[in-house]
Amino acid sequence: MAELYVKPGNQERGWNDPPQFSYGLQAQAGGPRRPPLTRRAPPPPSGAPPEAPPDPTSAPAASAAASLPRALGPPPLGPISPPRAEGGRPSAAAGPEECSVPPDTVLAPLREALATCRPTVQKQVCDDIARRLTVLEDAWAQGKLSAPVRKRMSLLVQELQQQHWDAADEIHRSLMVDHVNEVSQWLVGVKRLIAESRSLPAADGDTDGGAEAEPGQEEP
Amino acid sequence: MATYLEFIQQNEERDGVRFSWNVWPSSRLEATRMVVPLACLLTPLKERLDLPPVQYEPVLCSRPTCKAVLNPLCQVDYRAKLWACNFCFQRNQFPPAYAGISEVNQPAELMPQFSTIEYIVQRGPQTPLVFLYVVDTCLEEEDLQALKESLQMSLSLLPADALVGLITFGRMIQVHELSCEGISKSYVFRGTKDLTAKQIQDMLGLSKPAVPIQQGRPLQTPEQPVISSRFLQPVHKVDMNLTDLLGELQRDPWPVTQGKRPLRSTGVALSIAVGLLEGTFPNTGARIMLFTGGPPTQGPGMVVGDELKTPIRSWHDIEKDNARFMKKAAKHYETLANRAAANGHCIDIYACALDQTGLLEMKCCANLTGGHMVMGDSFNTSLFKQTFQRVFNKGFNGEFRMAFGACLDVKTSRELKIAGAIGPCISLNAKGPCVSESELGIGGTSQWKICSLDPSTTLAIYFEVVNQHNAPIPQGGRGAVQFVTQYQHSSTQKRIRVTTIARNWADAQTQLQHIEAAFDQEAAAVLMARLGVYRAESEEGPDVLRWLDRQLIRLCQKFGQYNKDDPNSFRLSESFSLYPQFMFHLRRSPFLQVFNNSPDESSYYRHHFARQDLTQSLIMIQPILYAYSFHGPPEPVLLDSSSILPDRILLMDTFFQIVIYLGETIAQWQKAGYQEMPEYENFKHLLQAPLDDAQEILQTRFPMPRYIHTEHGGSQARFLLSKVNPSQTHNNLYAWGQESGAPILTDDVSLQVFMDHLKKLAVSSAA
Repeated sequence: MAELYVKPGNQERGWNDPPQFSYGLQAQAGGPRRPPLTRRAPPPPSGAPPEAPPDPTSAPAASAAASLPRALGPPPLGPISPPRAEGGRPSAAAGPEECSVPPDTVLAPLREALATCRPTVQKQVCDDIARRLTVLEDAWAQGKLSAPVRKRMSLLVQELQQQHWDAADEIHRSLMVDHVNEVSQWLVGVKRLIAESRSLPAADGDTDGGAEAEPGQEEP
Repeated sequence: MATYLEFIQQNEERDGVRFSWNVWPSSRLEATRMVVPLACLLTPLKERLDLPPVQYEPVLCSRPTCKAVLNPLCQVDYRAKLWACNFCFQRNQFPPAYAGISEVNQPAELMPQFSTIEYIVQRGPQTPLVFLYVVDTCLEEEDLQALKESLQMSLSLLPADALVGLITFGRMIQVHELSCEGISKSYVFRGTKDLTAKQIQDMLGLSKPAVPIQQGRPLQTPEQPVISSRFLQPVHKVDMNLTDLLGELQRDPWPVTQGKRPLRSTGVALSIAVGLLEGTFPNTGARIMLFTGGPPTQGPGMVVGDELKTPIRSWHDIEKDNARFMKKAAKHYETLANRAAANGHCIDIYACALDQTGLLEMKCCANLTGGHMVMGDSFNTSLFKQTFQRVFNKGFNGEFRMAFGACLDVKTSRELKIAGAIGPCISLNAKGPCVSESELGIGGTSQWKICSLDPSTTLAIYFEVVNQHNAPIPQGGRGAVQFVTQYQHSSTQKRIRVTTIARNWADAQTQLQHIEAAFDQEAAAVLMARLGVYRAESEEGPDVLRWLDRQLIRLCQKFGQYNKDDPNSFRLSESFSLYPQFMFHLRRSPFLQVFNNSPDESSYYRHHFARQDLTQSLIMIQPILYAYSFHGPPEPVLLDSSSILPDRILLMDTFFQIVIYLGETIAQWQKAGYQEMPEYENFKHLLQAPLDDAQEILQTRFPMPRYIHTEHGGSQARFLLSKVNPSQTHNNLYAWGQESGAPILTDDVSLQVFMDHLKKLAVSSAA
C-alpha cells in the first residue's frame, strides 16, 4: 500500500508553490471523482444591475455579529455541515511511523534474488546491482533512511519474494517519486533486480498476480 | 432548451466535438451573417472508457481525392455488398472480409453509436518511444540537485523499453554516450556556432560512412540501431549508469564574473538535439525535453547578452522596436520547431527561473510540435516536480496519456470547406476539394500534424459554408464532417481514430430560430477567443480588441430583440445570454492584455489557451468562483465584486492559479481561533471545505497551478480583485445605497457599463 499524504510546497523557492501530493494520491486521481467544480452562477437578468445576494450577514446567529465588523461575535454554532469530502484528506505527512524492520530482512532476500539472477544475467549488471545493495545497506546502517522508506522497502521485498512483480515495481515507483532524495542512488539497482528476476524463466509456473498494480489489464 | 444542452453534452462525450452552431445555415451569405463562424472544438483523442479499439483496417472510399472512411452515415446496399460514400457519393464495393454482412450483422463502424471508432492497424515496424533530455547546467546548486533528482525519478516513470538520451549544456554542449560500461564519454560542441543537421550527424558519427551523399538530405533508413545506440539507449538497459551520470552532473564549470550572466548555449543545444533525432529516428514518436534555468545568452538563438546591466526585453522594448535579439532568436527556434515537427518529434520546454527565460522567442518549439511549456520559479518546487511527473501520467486503463505523430485529416460534405485550424499543430499542406480559399488560423490545407497530444489536446477547426444563396437546402438535409486522426499510441501501436458527425441544414431566412436555438455559446466563445489570441500573436493588442468588439456588436445586432434606437428594449435569447459576459472577461484576460505580464508570461498563457479543451478554456476566459458559508452548501457565485462578502470563503480557479480567499469576518474568526474550539467544529469544517475542493483540482490539473491562500486585506487578494467584475468601485460605491461586496479600486469598466454600451451600439440605427 502506498502512502497517502499532501505536504506543503516549497514557499522559499517558489512563489505560491502548490502543495505536493504523494504518489499514492496522484495515482488515485484517475479513480472515481466528485463532480468537478465547473458550474457557474446564472447571470443576473439582462437589464438589471448585478445585485448583491440578499444580505446574508444578519441571517443566522441571533446576534447581529457578522454585520458589525468591529464588534466581532462568534461564528454561528449551528449544526455541523458535513464537509464535501467524506472523511476529508490526510492533509499532512503522517507522523513518523515506527518501523523496526531489521535491515537484514530486506537485504537478505534482495541478495538472494541477485544470486538467482547471477547465472543468467551479465556479470557487470549483477556487480552493479550488488554495489547498490551495499549503498542501501550502508545508508540503512547509518540511519539515513526514514521510517516510511524502510517500511515500504520491506513491503517491496515481500512482494518480490511472492513474485508479484507488478506490485513490487509499483512500490519502487512510489518510493522513487516520494523519496527520490533518499533512494535515487540505490533504488535503481532494486528496480533492475525486479526487472531481471521477472524475466528469468519462471521456476514454478505463472505466479504473477500483481494485485494492486494495473487496474485494467484485459484488452477488450 | 434542455434538449439542446443535452445534445451538445452527449456529442462532446461521445465524439469530443463541440460546434459553434448545431444547425447550419444553408448558404454562404447567411453563414457570414451569423458572425460567429461555423467551427468546432475537436479533442481528437478524448478519453473514452467505453470505446474498445477494433483490430482491423478501416474501409476507405475508393475515390482517390476522397478516401473517407466507411461510417454510420453511409448508405449500404447489403445485398449487392455496396456502400455509398456520404461525402463524395462514390459507390464502393465492400472488401472480401465483409462478405457476411447484413442488416442484422453489421460491422461496428456502421452502427450509429460508433460515430467515433478507433482502429488498431499493423503498419511498419513498431519503434520504441524516444525521450531526449536537454539539460541546462548553469543552475544554482540547489536547483541543479532538484532537477537531477527529478530526472533520476523520471527513469522509473518512463516506459521500460523507451529509448533515452542526454545532452547537457552551459557554455559548451555535451552529447553523452550512454553505454553499459563504466566509462562515460561525451562529444563536446561549441555553443557559438550553429551547425547544419548534416554537420551534427557527421560529427556525432551518425551518417553512414562511405555512402555517396545525394543532393539534399541523404535518405535515412528508418532504423539504424547500431549507430543510434550510442546516444539513445533503452532505459531498462542504462538506467543504473544514467542514474549515476545524472547524479554526477556538475554546474557549468566556466567562471561567471560579477555582473555577468552565465553563457548559456540553449540555441545550439536544441539544434543538436533536433539534428540527432532527425538523423536517427525520423517519423517516430520522440520528445525532446529542454530543462532550462535562464535565457540563452550566446550563439544562435541568444535572447539577451551576458551583461546583467542590460535587462531582458520587456513589452515596452518590443513596442519600441528595441529588442535586439528577439526576431533573430525567434527565427532560429521557429526553424528548429519546423524541422522537429517535420520529423514528428515534439519539444517540451521546462523553464524555471525568477526572471524571464526567453519563452517568447522559444515558444514555437512547443507550439508547433505539441510539446509542453512549463514555467516555474525553481526546479526545487512542487510546481515543477509534480508537473513533470504528470507528463508521465497514465490514464484509467494504465496506458500513458501521451500519443505521438498524429495526422489529422478533415473531410467535409460538398457544401462545406475547411478554412483552417488553431492548436498545437502544423499544416501538412494538403490541398484538395475540401479546402477553402479563405483562411482562419492555419489554413490552406485539410491535414495537420500534431507531433504530441494527450486525451485533452483540443484543436479549433474553422469551416466555410459554400452553398450558394437561394440554392435549395442540400440533398439529405444534413451536412457532414469526418475527422480521421492517425497516431502512434504510447504502446507504439499505430492507431486511427475516426469521428463522423452530421448536422441539419436550415434556411436562415425562414428558420433562423432553429439556428439560433442550436447556438453553443460556450463553444463559440472559445472559438472566437482562439481566433482573437491567434491574431494577438501577430497584431497589436488594440486591433484585436476592436475586432472582437465589432464581432460582438454584430452578433447582438443579428440575434438580439430590440426596437431601433431603444437600448432598454434589447434582449438576448437564452442561448446567447452568457456570450457577452464571456467576451467581457476575455477582453480583460492575460491572453489579450499584456499589461502586468512579461512577454514570457503572455507566451506561456497563450500556449496553454491554444490547446486545452472547452471546459478548461472557459475557466481561463472566465474564472470559476465558489462561495462557502454557513448559509448552505458551497455554491457557484458570480465573478463579481458583489460576491466578496465578509462571512464567506471564496475559491477561485483561473486555471493557472487556485485562490482561496477568506472574507473579513471569517478571517477574524480564524485569527480568534474558533476553529480550535470543539463547539465550533462547524467553523473548522467550513475552513476545510474549500481546501479539500482545491486539492481536488490541484490533483489533476496540468500544469500544476499556483496556489494562493489569502484573506480580506491580504496583499495577494489582488488575484481575486483583478479578476472579478468591478461592479462596485470607489466611483460608485454609494450609488447602490448599501454596503455589500467589496469595492475595487479601478477605473476599468464594469460588466454593467460594458453591457450598456453594447446595447446602445447594437440597437443604433447608425451602426
